[in-house]
Amino acid sequence: MYRGREGQWAFVLHRMSGVALALFLLLHVIDISLVMWGPDGPFNAFLAFYHQWPFRVGLVVVIAGVVYHALNGLRIIMMDFTTWGVKYQAPLWYGVLGLTTLIGIPVLWKIVPEILGIA
Amino acid sequence: MARAAAPRTFRDAQATYRTNGELAWWVFMRVSGFLLVFLTFGHLWANNMAFNAGQIDFDYVASRLAQPSVKVYDSFLLLFALLHGVNGLRYSIEDYIQRPQRRVAAKVALFTVAGIVFVLGVMALWTFSFSEMGDAVRALNE
Repeated sequence: MYRGREGQWAFVLHRMSGVALALFLLLHVIDISLVMWGPDGPFNAFLAFYHQWPFRVGLVVVIAGVVYHALNGLRIIMMDFTTWGVKYQAPLWYGVLGLTTLIGIPVLWKIVPEILGIA
Repeated sequence: MARAAAPRTFRDAQATYRTNGELAWWVFMRVSGFLLVFLTFGHLWANNMAFNAGQIDFDYVASRLAQPSVKVYDSFLLLFALLHGVNGLRYSIEDYIQRPQRRVAAKVALFTVAGIVFVLGVMALWTFSFSEMGDAVRALNE
């Protein structure tokens, strides 16, 4: 069974994160637009619902998706517009994964205690 | 129509796409993607790192949207992210939905939802005046 190499996994993750982020964006704009109904409207109740821990963990996943999609997007731009990008696409992808992990550390450091209620 | 292998370079894209429309979208995805790296990272920094996202409420959003700079920033974010995201979903529909009728139906549904969401977003950003923000925001600005 062919399990793919770096380029294919980069594509699969880019496609999955992209679709998820686009759907999140549609939902996100709709829920933030509830501010139009004012301080006594549905906004605060809706946000309180989203502040439950499963949604906050979900938000961390969204952030991870944004960081991966952004960095891999820069890799795609390098592949498309430089003479060396395609040649180094595999090491660049490992760079994307490494940098995503590296950025994830301070993000988790900041947000996990908030979710656990010890921040 | 099955999509050929994705073009790898600008010259490939020019050769692959018969219409200038698809070429323009190909370029747009890269240009908007580059801008969105900075726009989304700034957005995430402001609302998740510089602030506890678990405490976001009406007061917080109202105080942000009261600032013209945030309105302008979020407007660019809304425009580029929606166009980039909806075009990406369109690529996915064209890749995975084979039957023409279903493909058209999926696209119509997508563009309808996206249009409504865009209008909602613009309204939330630009029709939201100080007088409507209530006592909470006035208290914040005292």
